[in-house]
Amino acid sequence: MKLYDYVLSPSCYKARLMAALTGVKLDIRPVDFHPGAEHRGPELMALNPAGSIPILEDGDLVLTESSAMLVYLAAKAAPQWLGNDTALQAARVQQWLSFSHRLTGSLGAARLHEMLLRPGDIATLHGQGIAALRELEAGLVEQHIRGQRFLASDRPTIADVACFPYVALAPDGGVSLDPYPAIRLWSRAIRSLEGFIEMPGIHRLHELKPEPVLEAGEA
Amino acid sequence: MLPYPSGSWMPVALSADLPAGTVMPAQTPVGPIALWRSRSGRAAAFADRCPHRGMRLSRGFVRGEALSCIYHGWSYAQAGNCLRIPAHPGLTPPETIGVATQPVEDSGGIIWISVGEPTARPPRFDGLAPLRSMIVEAGIAALEAAAGTKADGGLLDYAQNAQTLRLLLTPQGKARTLMHVLVDEGTGPAKRIAASRAAETLRRTAEDILRSDVAQ
Repeated sequence: MKLYDYVLSPSCYKARLMAALTGVKLDIRPVDFHPGAEHRGPELMALNPAGSIPILEDGDLVLTESSAMLVYLAAKAAPQWLGNDTALQAARVQQWLSFSHRLTGSLGAARLHEMLLRPGDIATLHGQGIAALRELEAGLVEQHIRGQRFLASDRPTIADVACFPYVALAPDGGVSLDPYPAIRLWSRAIRSLEGFIEMPGIHRLHELKPEPVLEAGEA
Repeated sequence: MLPYPSGSWMPVALSADLPAGTVMPAQTPVGPIALWRSRSGRAAAFADRCPHRGMRLSRGFVRGEALSCIYHGWSYAQAGNCLRIPAHPGLTPPETIGVATQPVEDSGGIIWISVGEPTARPPRFDGLAPLRSMIVEAGIAALEAAAGTKADGGLLDYAQNAQTLRLLLTPQGKARTLMHVLVDEGTGPAKRIAASRAAETLRRTAEDILRSDVAQ
C-alpha cells in the first residue's frame, strides 16, 4: 500500500497514524508539497485530479479522501476500529467523520494561513475553529458522562483518528487549546495508545517512558 | 481592584480534569499557572514559566513526584525547587533555582488556588457535584442577564428544564469568565447531559448579549 505523503500535512498524518495503530506497513512516497507544489504536477494530477494529498494507492484502488483511507486501513487490518457494533456507535462514528472536515476547513485553513501565508479571513477561520472545538468539547463531556473516553465508544475508533490531528495542531493556526479540559484528556488518551506515532507539532507523552539515565560526562 | 483579594481562594479547575500524573494551564489574577498533580495524587500550582528559558511549564510532563519542562527537561519538586538538569547529570541544582508556587486546596471536586497566604479554608458546596468547566467570552453581568438571576458569593443559579444549575463564576479580565457548572449530587446521566447542554445555551445567550451591547 503506497501513501503519497507530506510530513507536515495533518491529513497525511491521519493515514500514517491509522496504519501505525493498526499495524499496517505503508510504502511512503514523499511529496514535495511545499515549496515544490508537486501535488499539482502532472504525475500526481493524473492520480488525483483534485490536486490534494494524501493519496493512498493499493492495486487499482486509489483513495483521495482521508476518511476513506481510515475506513480501508481499519477494515483490512483491525475492524474493531470501525466502531460499528451498534446503530448508535456507527452513527456517532459517521457524525464525527463528517464533522472532521469542518476542522480541516477552519483550524486547518487557519494553520495554512499562518504557516504558508495562504489567503483567508483569519478572524472568521478562528471563529469557526473555536465553534468546532466547543462542539467537540461538549461531545466529549457527554461521552464522559456516559462513561466513555472516546468520541463514539469507550474504545478508540476511526472517528478519533479523523478529528485528532487538526485539533492537536490548532495552536499552529493561532487557536489556543487551553480552554478545553475534555479535549486535553482525550488527546492524552489518544497519545497513550499502543502504536501511537508523532508528527512535527504533535509529540508523544514523554512520561510513558522511564527517565533516560545519563552518566556525568556523557551529555 | 482584583476580584480576589490577597488571601482569598479562587476555583481554577475541577479535580476530575487533572488526573494523577498530568499538568494543565490555568489563569489567576497574578498570572498564568501550571497546575499539576503528581503520580501519588498531590496537586501543586507553579508560575507558568520555566526559570531556565521561559517555556510554559504547563506544556511539560509529570514523572513520579516531579514536573519537567518540555524544552530542556529541567524538573521541579512540588515545593518548586529544581531537582534535575538533564544536560548536567552530575550537578545537584543550586537551591537558588526554583519556581514560584501558590497554595492549592483540592476539596469537593474543585481545585482552589490562594492568591497570597490563605486566611481560611476554601468554601464548600455541600450537596453539589461539579459537572464541567467552561470559558465564557463575556463578563458576569452578561451571564446574570442571560440567567435572569444575580450571582451571590460567586454562585449564579440558572433554572432550565426542571433542574437548577449552580454556576461558580470567576472573572478572567473584563469580558471573560471561567464557569464551573455544579449540579445536585446524585444527578443521573440523562440529567447531567441535559445540564451540560443547558450550560452551552446559557453561554451562547450571554455571549450574544455581550455582542449586541458592544454593537449598540
